[in-house]
Amino acid sequence: MSTLTISSIRKSFKGTEVLRGIDLTIESGSFVSLLGPSGCGKTTLLRCIAGLETPSSGQILIGGDDVTALAPERRRLGMMFQSYALFPHMTVLENVRFGLRMRADRSVAEQRKAARDALEVVRMEGYADRLPTQLSGGQQQRVALARAIAPEPRVLLLDEPLSNLDARLRDDMQIELVELHRRLGLTTVFVTHDQHEAMTMSDTVVLLNDGSVEQVGEPEDIYRRPATHFAADFIGAANMIAGEATAQGIRLDGVPGDALPRPDNATNGRGSLVVRTESIVVGHSPATGYDSAAPVTVLTSVFRGAEVIYVVELAGQRVKVTAPANVPIVPAGAAVASWASSEAFWLSETTVLTHER
Amino acid sequence: MTISRREPWLLLLPAVALLALGFLTPVVGMLVSSVIAPEGGGVTLSNFERLFGSEYYLGAAERSLRLSLIQTALAVILATPIAYIMSRATSWVRTAVLVVVILPLLTSVVVRTFGWVVLMGPAGALSSLPGIELLGAGSQGLLGTEAGVVIAMVQVLLPFAVLTILGVMSSVKQELEEASRMLGANFWRTLRHVVIPLSLPGIASGATLVFALSVSSFITPRLVGGVQLPVLAGTIYVDSTVGLDWPFAAAQSVLLFAGVILVIAATLRLGKVDR
Amino acid sequence: MVKSVPLVAKAAAVVLLAFLALYMLVPIIVVAGASLSESRFLAFPPTGLSLEWYVVALTSDVYLGPLQTSLLIAVVAAVIAATLGTAAALAVTRFPLPFSGAIQSFLLSPLIVPTIIMGIGTLTLVSVIGQGPDLWVLVVVHAVLGIPYVMRTVTGVMARSDRFTEEAARTLGAGTWSRYRFVVLPMARPGIVAGAFFAFNISFDDAVIALFLRTPQLETLPIAIYGRLEFSTDPSVAAVSTLMVLITVVTMIALEKAIGLGKAFV
Repeated sequence: MSTLTISSIRKSFKGTEVLRGIDLTIESGSFVSLLGPSGCGKTTLLRCIAGLETPSSGQILIGGDDVTALAPERRRLGMMFQSYALFPHMTVLENVRFGLRMRADRSVAEQRKAARDALEVVRMEGYADRLPTQLSGGQQQRVALARAIAPEPRVLLLDEPLSNLDARLRDDMQIELVELHRRLGLTTVFVTHDQHEAMTMSDTVVLLNDGSVEQVGEPEDIYRRPATHFAADFIGAANMIAGEATAQGIRLDGVPGDALPRPDNATNGRGSLVVRTESIVVGHSPATGYDSAAPVTVLTSVFRGAEVIYVVELAGQRVKVTAPANVPIVPAGAAVASWASSEAFWLSETTVLTHER
Repeated sequence: MTISRREPWLLLLPAVALLALGFLTPVVGMLVSSVIAPEGGGVTLSNFERLFGSEYYLGAAERSLRLSLIQTALAVILATPIAYIMSRATSWVRTAVLVVVILPLLTSVVVRTFGWVVLMGPAGALSSLPGIELLGAGSQGLLGTEAGVVIAMVQVLLPFAVLTILGVMSSVKQELEEASRMLGANFWRTLRHVVIPLSLPGIASGATLVFALSVSSFITPRLVGGVQLPVLAGTIYVDSTVGLDWPFAAAQSVLLFAGVILVIAATLRLGKVDR
Repeated sequence: MVKSVPLVAKAAAVVLLAFLALYMLVPIIVVAGASLSESRFLAFPPTGLSLEWYVVALTSDVYLGPLQTSLLIAVVAAVIAATLGTAAALAVTRFPLPFSGAIQSFLLSPLIVPTIIMGIGTLTLVSVIGQGPDLWVLVVVHAVLGIPYVMRTVTGVMARSDRFTEEAARTLGAGTWSRYRFVVLPMARPGIVAGAFFAFNISFDDAVIALFLRTPQLETLPIAIYGRLEFSTDPSVAAVSTLMVLITVVTMIALEKAIGLGKAFV
C-alpha cells in the first residue's frame, strides 16, 4: 500500500503533446478514477505509472520511491488490461501464479497456494485447471484480476476493465471491485470514459481533458460544483445560461425583473449559471420552495417512460429540463421554470476562458 | 447470391481442369511409374530394391537428410528473432526488412547461387576469411564443401522461414508481453515464458516448409557442392534427364516425398504432445 | 515497440538486422559487381569497370534466344494463370460452394508439392505418352505453378472488399457481363495484377522445371546461365543475371506506379 505521487508529467508522441504537465497525488488506499473523453490522455497516464510508457519529463513516486526510470517489472504494480491479456497457453492457476513465480521468493507449493487464495477472492477457485479460452468474458476478467493482485502489488491499475462486458455484468463487476477494494485496502487507479462508473466506484475522481487535469474531487463535489466549462459539460447533463453576476444578484440575459439570488460561489462579472436538468421544475406558475424563476416557452416535451424531457426557451437560450413522469405534462406554450439557487452553480467567464482550448 | 447456378462452376472449371491435367496427372504418373519395371511391363518393386541396396544412393539420401536438418535448424534459429524484431518494430523498419527479405525471392535461384559460387571460389572474398579452413575450405575455397552448401542454402531458405514465422508472431498481442512485464518478468523472461511458447506453432510450420524446400533442392547443392557431394534431389535430376531412367528416378522421388511427409507428421505430433 | 526493451537487446537487434541485410543482398551485389569487370575472369571485387560484358550479353545469341524464350513463356504462363486463377478466386469468394475448402486446398496444392516432383512427373508423362517436352508443356506447368499465387492475392483482395457493391449493381440493372466489367474486375484488379506479377516471376526465374524439360531447342535464360556456370564462366553470365534481376525490379516498380501493387497487400 503506498501513496502515488505524479509530478509535472509530460508526454509527447511524434510531436503531439498528449500529457501536458500532470500533477497528482493519490493517497494510499484510495480508489481513484481517471475519467475523461477518448484522447484525453488517461490511458497514457496509466501506462506511464505502469512503466509501459516513458514520460518525456516529470517524476513518478510510489511510496516515496522514484520509479520514473524503473522498468515495469521492478515496480511491483498490478495491472488489469482492457482485453484481460491472459496467457492462452497457461492454465488459470498458472496465469495467476505467474507473478509470484517471477518474484521467486517462495516455494512453488507456496506460490500455488497463494494463487489459489487469490482465485478464491474472485470466486474462481473451481476453474484453476481450465484454459483461458474455455472461460467466458466475465470469468476471464476475474482471473485477470486475481492474477494482478496475487503478487501483492503496491498499487492496482485498471485500464477500462469493464468496457468489454455487457451492461448487467458490468454493474455486477463494479460492485465487486468496490467490495474488493474495501476488503484489500489496495491503492487503486481506474481508467474509464464512463462517468457513471467513475462516480459509482471512486473515492476521488480525476477529470482529464486534452492532456490536463480539469478537476479533482469526490464524485459528489464534481457533480455539484464543476470547476470548469468542460467539467460541467462532461458530467451529468447541465444547462449553462448566460448572464451577469452583480452585487444584487444574478441577471440572466434577456430575462426581465428582479435579480435572482446568487449561488454560493458566484463572483461578480459575466458568466454562466449552471443548473442540472433535474434541478429545474416547469409549471404554469413559479413553484413553491424554489427561490429562482424565469418565464419560458415550452417548445417540445418527450415522454421517456420514467421521465419527461422538456426543451424550453429561456430568453432566447435553449434549456433542457428532466421531470418525473408522474407530474402532469406542461403543454407547449408559455410557462415558468423554477429552481433553487442552492442547486445552481456559477461559472464566471474568466474560468470558462482559462480552460477553453 | 442467387445468380446463375452455373456461374461459379463455370468460373472454377478451367483452373481445376488445368490443374488436373498439368499437376495431378504428372504427380500420379510419377507415383505409378515408380513401381513399373524400367524394361517395361508389370508392377514391381525392383526400383525400390535397387534404391535401398545402393550405398551411393543411400549416401545421397543421408546427406540430403542431414544437410536439410542443419539448414532448417539454422534458418529457424535466425528467422525467429528476425521475425520478432519485425513484428515489434516501427513500420518503416518493418517495411525495410521486408524488402530485404523478399528481394532475393524475386530473383532466380540460379542467380543467387551464382553469387555464392563467386564468393566461395578459391579467389572469392569468403574463402580468404581467416579461420575459414575450419569449415573445410580447401584448394577450391568453400566450393565442394558441405559447409559451403549449407551457407548458400540457408540464404535461399531464410526468407521463407521469416515470412512464415512473422505471420504467427504478429498475432501474439503486445498486451500479453506487457502483462508479463507488469507481473515481474523482464524482457528476456517474457520472451521465454510468453512469446516463444505462443509462437511455437508458427515456428514449427516454418520449419516444415523450410525442410521440404531444402530437401527438394538440387541446383544450389550441385553448383556449390559439385558432383562429389550428391544429394537425393540431385540424383533424381541426373537419372531423369541424363540417364532417362524415369521409373528409378520416380522411386527416389517417392522416397523423398515420403521423407517430407514423415517429417511433417512428426512435427504435427510434437505440436500435440505439448498440450 | 514494447517500451523498455533493454539496450543489449536493441544492440543485438541492430547487429542481427545488419547481418541479415548483408546475407540477403551480398550474392546479388556480387553478381552485379562481377558483371562490371574488365577482365575475362569472374571476380569480386571487379578488376576495372566496364560495361562491355553487357554489350556481349545483349548481342550474343547464346543469351538472346533463351531470353526471348523465357519472356514468351513467362508472359503466356502469367496470362493463363491470371485468367484461370482469378476466375477460380472469384468463384470461391463470392459464392457459397459445397466443398469450398477442399477445392481451395486443391487449387493451392502446387505450392506444397516440391517442384522437383512436378519436374520428374511431367518429364515422365510427356516422354511416355507424348513426344517429349516442348515449349507448351513448359508453359502449362508454369501456369499451374502460378495459379496458387493468383488465387491467394485475388482472394485476399476480395475478402477485404465490400460484398454488397455487386448486389447494388444488380439492383441498378447490371447484367452478368456488366457486373464483371464495371464492378467485380475493377475491385479485384490490384489482386490480379499482383498475382500475375508473381506468376510471371515464378516462370521467368524457374530453373528446376526448365532443367527437367530441357531440350536442345528449349532453353530458358536460367538454363543458359546454369549451363555457363557449370562449364564456361565469364562476366557475360553475370551481366545477363544482373539484367534478369533488373527486369524484375523495374517491372515491379512500374506496376506499383501504374496500378499500386501495394494495394493488394494493405
